[in-house]
Parts: sequence; C-alpha cells; structure tokens
Amino acid sequence: MITALAAATPGVRAAEPAWSEWLRRARGQQVYFNVWAGDEAVNRYVTWTVAEVRRTFGIELVHVKINDVAEAVARVLAERAAGRDRDGTIDLLWLNGENFAALRQADLLYGPWADEVPNARWIDRAGNPTTVTDFTLPTAGYELAWGTSRFTLFYDSARIRTPPRDSAALLAWLRANPGRFTYPQPPQFHGTSFLKQLLLAEYTDRARFAAAVGGDFATLSAPLWRWLDAAHASMWRSGRNFPASGPAQRRLLGDGEVDWAVAFNSAEASRSIQSGEFPQSIRSVRFRAGALANSHFLGIPYNARSVAGAKVVANFLLSPAAQARKGDERYWGDATVLDIERLPAADRAAFAALRPGPATLPASGPGAGGVIDEPHPSWTIAIEREWLRRYRAG
Amino acid sequence: MTKRALLAAVLLLVLLPVAVGLGGTILPALSSEPWRELFATPGLARAITLTLFTGIASAVISLGLAHLLLAVYSARLARERLRAAMLPLLATPHLALAIGVALLLAPSGWLLRALSPWLTGFTQPPDWATIQDPWGLSLVLGLVLKETPFLVLALGSALTQVPSERLMLQARTLGYRPFKSWCVAVAPLLQRQIRLPFAAVVAFGLGNVDVAIALGPSNPPTLAILLWQWFTDPDLSRRALAAAGAVMLTGLTALALWALHALAARVRRLWLRHATSGRRHDSTVAATLFANSIGALLLATGLLALIALVLRSLARAWRFPEFLPRSIDMNSWSNALATLTPALEGSVGLALLTAFVALLVSLWAAETLRPLPQWRTRLAALLFVPLIVPQFGFLYGLQVALSALRIEGTWTAMLLTHLLFVLPYVFAFVVAAHTALDARLPIVARSLGASPTATFAKVTLPLLARTSLQALALGFAVSLALLLPSLFAGAGRFITFATEAAATMTSGSLRSAAVYGSAQALLPLLGFAAAALAGALVFRRRAGVPA
Repeated sequence: MITALAAATPGVRAAEPAWSEWLRRARGQQVYFNVWAGDEAVNRYVTWTVAEVRRTFGIELVHVKINDVAEAVARVLAERAAGRDRDGTIDLLWLNGENFAALRQADLLYGPWADEVPNARWIDRAGNPTTVTDFTLPTAGYELAWGTSRFTLFYDSARIRTPPRDSAALLAWLRANPGRFTYPQPPQFHGTSFLKQLLLAEYTDRARFAAAVGGDFATLSAPLWRWLDAAHASMWRSGRNFPASGPAQRRLLGDGEVDWAVAFNSAEASRSIQSGEFPQSIRSVRFRAGALANSHFLGIPYNARSVAGAKVVANFLLSPAAQARKGDERYWGDATVLDIERLPAADRAAFAALRPGPATLPASGPGAGGVIDEPHPSWTIAIEREWLRRYRAG
Repeated sequence: MTKRALLAAVLLLVLLPVAVGLGGTILPALSSEPWRELFATPGLARAITLTLFTGIASAVISLGLAHLLLAVYSARLARERLRAAMLPLLATPHLALAIGVALLLAPSGWLLRALSPWLTGFTQPPDWATIQDPWGLSLVLGLVLKETPFLVLALGSALTQVPSERLMLQARTLGYRPFKSWCVAVAPLLQRQIRLPFAAVVAFGLGNVDVAIALGPSNPPTLAILLWQWFTDPDLSRRALAAAGAVMLTGLTALALWALHALAARVRRLWLRHATSGRRHDSTVAATLFANSIGALLLATGLLALIALVLRSLARAWRFPEFLPRSIDMNSWSNALATLTPALEGSVGLALLTAFVALLVSLWAAETLRPLPQWRTRLAALLFVPLIVPQFGFLYGLQVALSALRIEGTWTAMLLTHLLFVLPYVFAFVVAAHTALDARLPIVARSLGASPTATFAKVTLPLLARTSLQALALGFAVSLALLLPSLFAGAGRFITFATEAAATMTSGSLRSAAVYGSAQALLPLLGFAAAALAGALVFRRRAGVPA
C-alpha cells in the first residue's frame, strides 16, 4: 500500500530528501532580501522574519530596503551587463507585474523552483488564480505567491456619507469638493493602478486587455483621459503636483490634507486607525464594477549567491504560521494566498482567530466584490507613457 | 622624488575615479538614440528651467547672504559667534534638514498648526503649495539654509589668506565706515578665495537629489530627480537615457558656472565703480538689521525643522491642527533599531574611517607641501574636482567600474568613494589652519637640532590638535550626509542613515524617514561636540596656545 502510494506520487518522495538537502545548504548562508520599504508594518514583519529564520534555520537574512522594486530589477540587469553571472547582490526579491515580466523576458530569474517548495501545496490556485497568473503572465514556477490584494479606496466617512463607487459619481464628488482628492503620481505603482482601475471599470468585456497593447490603445484608453482631463482641475494642487507614492498619499489623508487615499490592502486603513495615524472615521470602498486584483510574489535572481537560503526563507514565508501572522493586522494585515480550508485544523484556527478592523474589507471570497483582472503588462507601460506625455507640464 | 610620487598617488586617488566615472557615464551616451529619447521626454524643458533656476538662485542668494553675514560679523569675536550659530545648520545633512523643512512648512506642517485655527480659522489644512511648489521656491529655501552656513565657513577660512585687518585699517583711514570698508576692501578678495567652494555650491544646487526629493516639485521634477528615476528604471534602455541626461546635467553645470563667472566680472566692475564713487557713508544700521534678521530666520527655520523632524519621529497620533502630538512613543525608533544597528555600523564606522584617512592624508600633504605653497593651492583646487563635477556625471560610470572590479558594496568601494567627497573639505580645513601657524615655531625647533619628523610630531601636530579634531568632526559630518555616493558605490547593500532616510522618504513612510533623518542629524552634532570637548581636554594645560 505504502509502496503503491509512493509510486503514484513520485514527485513527493523525490522532493523530500532534496528539501532536507536545501535546508542543510541554507544553514549559515547570508540571504539578501530586497523589499519595498514604504510600509513600516512590512518592515516590522521582515524584521520578525529575520529573527525567526536565524533561530530556526541558521540563516542570516539581510533586509535590504528599496523604494521601488524596479531598483532591484535594475541592479540585476546591471550585474548581467557587467558580466556578474554569479555571486549577485540580491538573493530574494519581492515582486510582481511588470518587474516580473521584465526579469522573465531577460531570463534573469532562477527557476522553476516555486512549485517545489513544501508549503507551495497549500496555495489556493483554484480559488485565487492571481496566485499563478501574474498580470496575465503565467508564473511557471519562477516566483512564489506570497500575498494577495484588491484595489481599494480609503475615504473619510465623517466627510463623505455615501462614497462614490464609479467614475461618474467620483467626478461629481470632486467638483463639489475641490482640492480634496488626489492619486499617487504615475508611474508609481499605486498611481498607475488607480488609472488601470478607472479605465478597466469602464468596460464590461475586458478580454481585449489580456492581450498586448496595440494600435487601438488611443481609442480604448480615451475614456480614462477624458475623465482625468475633467477631474484634474478639481484635485489637490489643481492636479499639478501629486503625492510621490501610495504611503505618501495615506499620510496626506492622515494629516487631513485630502479626504481620499488609494491602496491595495484595506487592512492598512484599520491598522492606521489603530496606530492613530488615521482618524476613527476612515473606511474602505471598492468600485461597483469590481476591483483590480493581483498577488505579489517572491523571486530569486539568476545570479543569486544563496539560492538554498532564499528558497528556505521563501518556504518559511509561505508557512501557515508565517501567513497567519502576516494576516494579523497587529503585525501587517496582508491577505493570505493559502487555501485555509485545506489546512490542518491547528493552522486553520490561527486564521480563524484573526480579527479584522473596522475599515478592512475581505481580500478574496464572496464578500470581496467583483474582480477586475490585471491587464497585460504592456498596458501598464502604455498608460504610464501616455499619462506622462499628457500631464507632465511641458 | 618620493614626495612627488606620493602626491601623484593622492591625485590619482581622487582624479582617476572621476575620470573613469565620467568615461563610464559618457560611453553609453555616445549613440544618438538616447539623446533623441532624452529630448522627447515630456516636460524636459520645464525640468531644465527648474534645475537652472533653483540651482543658480540658491547659490547666488546663499553667496550674498554669506557675504552680508560675514561683513556684519567681521570682528573676530563676532565671527566666532556666527560660526557657532551656523554650526547646527552646517552639521545637519541636506536630506535630514530638507525633510524637517517639509514637516515645518507643509500645509499640514508645524508652522500652520501653530497658527490654526485661532488665527487662520483652518480646521483642515488648506490646499496651498507651500512645499513642492511648481516654481521650486521651497527647494531654493532648503538649499539656501544649507549653503549659506557652508559659504560663511568658506569665507571665514579664506580670511586667513587675506590681510583683512590691514585692509580694513587702510579703508578706515581713508574715512570709509566699517561696513563699507569691508565691502570694498575685503569682500572682493575673499570672493576670489572661495571660487571653488562656490562652484561646488552651484554644482550641488543643480545636481542634488537630497533636497529635491523632499522639497522639489514632482511634475516635472528637477533634472537630477529624473536622472535618479531613470538610473533605477528596470528598462535597460533607460540607462543610456540616464547617461545622456547625466551628460546634459554636467553640460548645464558647466554652462551655469561659465555664466556666473561672466556675471561675476560684470558685478566686479559695478562694485569697483561703487567703491570708487567717493561716498564713505554706508548703511551699517540697515545692513546689520537685515543680516541679523536673515541670520535669525535661517537659524530659527533650521532649528524648528530639526525639532519638527524629531517630533514627527516620536508622534503617534498627530492630527491637524494639533500643535503637539496627542501621544508619542518610541515605536518608530524601536522598529528602526533593527536597521539602525547596521546603519550605525555602516554610517558611523565608514564616516569615522573616512574622516580619519582624510585627516592623515591632509596633515601629511599640508606638511609636505609647506615649502611649496603654490603646489598646495593647486592640490586644493584639484581635490575640489569631485565636488564640482555633478555627482550623476561620474557616479554611474564609477559604479560600473566598481562592479567590474567586483568591489561595489564593499568597505573599500565605500571608503574610496566617500574620500572623494570628504577629502576636499578636510584638506581645505587643515591647510587653512596649517598656514595660519606661526612659521617661526618649527624653525626654532629645527635650529635646536630636532629632525623634520620630530618637529612635525612634537611641535606642529600638537598645535594642530584642535584643528585635527574639528577636521575629523567635519569629515564625519560630510560622510554621514552623502546620499548618491553611498547609493551608487554601496549597490544597495551598504546601509547608511542617508540611504535609509531617502528610501523611507521616497516611499512615503515619513515617520521612519524622520527617525533616520533625526539620527543622521544628531550624529554630526555629537561629532562636533565631542571634538570641542576633546579639544578642551587636550588644551586644558596649554592656556594661551593658539588653535
């Protein structure tokens, strides 16, 4: 019986000794983990991870804070250009979307590895397809899903009783409340996401956006530019200057300079209420037509020095315990990519014990509202280019 | 002969990286494609205008203010007081001060909180562009805050090269009032002495990222910020575009320096006419009043910005228009502790090491070149090259070279790169003090039979003890402030307070940025305080020894 099972699932048996080998090699390794540093909660979570993997696996995880994942991508590209094909400066990288596309296109990611780490079996591939399709590109084992999110707007419910949930209503609100709305400046990630959310919500059939951008870009994107042309004059600083990033705009909301902020994780609002950065009245809302949904991943550059250590850390980050802690708003509040129903009872309980705050909306499942799939990465680039061409004062 | 060889080595240490870096930056910009892309950049014309305006305006205003302040505080004691007052501004790194100024002047900043709602009626911040204004005025203010004290220091050092007392006496004898005497007799000579530091101020003003990320507009930003974005873009073709942009920034800097040089000649002629008009009277009272108000304003802005910075790093809930945070905690500091530790090792260790190496090189070069004053001047000028070439112009090429040598992100790479920027300051400081030494003292020692080495060790060095300590503190402060050199040479692996503050600032985490900024601002002050304390201890039993 046992022999029969083992024969039926050869991958499992073959993977077991291999994983212990990775664990053995990882011990004592230094792993440079490049992480976007814009969120204190994320920084804290990584700090916790550093201590955990040192204690459990003997790995020295080095937290490298970056402003933009693009910087790390640029570094890998520069190392390739300089012929540094081994002993690269990055071992593990938090990424998704266009950065994944850029690295995959240049064949600068190690892999496939992500489907082989033990905890990958708990990933909710069926229920949350964004965990295996990153902005329309199949992950193909070159990155490991880490967290999942949906585009959300934060607003001050003390000023806005019924928040607008489509672009027309938002425009009407803007005109009635000039100077109180803005969005992060594209090509910053949150800013571009806002543009994509606006554009894609205008269409009910979004199949065209899953393919690469083409000659029809001008026609298809026209509603977005019409809306922005109409809205900018009523925005913060009359639409002439924009906050540098999502967190920068959240600070503006916290300081009362604006009434809105954009984010991918609604738990951030609850957390900010808890920490006192936001007033109690901040709430989250998503567009009626659906919310842009995506997952974020962990990748290993092709020239990483400590591949074993990177894999072990990635597997740890995907463990139910680490994912449950990540889902806890006291620490971070990022939604899990695991299929909780399939987990052992003890691990399920850890997720059941999570208490979302007043501004948190579910990130997946029936309560999360409709989903808008991310468009092909070429749309992102085309929208960013066009935005700069139109709205950078020349 | 060996002296020459060693001097050549020093120059090589400084000029070779700049030359290699410039080459490495220009190389990818040689084809026409990146230039076409550069000129097609949306908003480029406005970015260039903004860069030129903020860079030149801040440099010229700072220079004018520095001259005015020194003219009013020309007496030795007053000058000492001025220098002490300027020290906090001087010691605070650009980035930290810029973040502080943003926290002070933003619509939700401390200033408007102080006036709201009792005076302004605001219960929510107004939609005013008090920082990041499209014209770059807040950026100019941020730069002036930092560059004025620097130029005051440079002018003060230049005084040792100018027979100011004799000149003042002559002018006074001819019946000129003190302020005008200074303006016509001393200031023009001083100006000749500080051409290099002034050029460095212009180059920094045009090419800085440190101040522009906190106070500059974003749409479009200055050319330097565009370059920063391009250099970090995942799209490889952007590297060539960035390189072309860096070449353009270098060209613009050269153009600005040339234009200012030409302008200076014209100003000199006008000045001469003014000086020889025969009028002896001046507006001492008005000038003093103006200088005092400006000086106080600069100082107050700087100090309030620093307090706002520290407060923000401690504030938990701080809603507009509350003047003080409702609650404070050390969360951000304790959260940052994990990264503060590597930053402490990185920043402080590196800064100490760099300052120490720079001091040794400077002391040795100053002593070796004692008989050759014109060489000393030439060396000082050449050492300034890395400060006058825009940082973007050679740092990218340098990074490529360091990467090819596989030493980017190492202590060696960081030390070499930081020395480029620390050495000119430390050398200028040490040489000024060395020149001011009573030349007869070593001669007496030699005539009593002491060897040159013994003379240096037993006579010159003790006399330079306080200078050396201050030079260490200066080198320490300069190194701590370096942002782009740390980013490029550190390959993101070398954590310093500057890189952490910039990373958290641009990603919007202001409270964390305030933590790193505060740490970055307090350390140089501690450095100067330690130098003063150690100096006092060293000279405790040497009352009357000039230093």
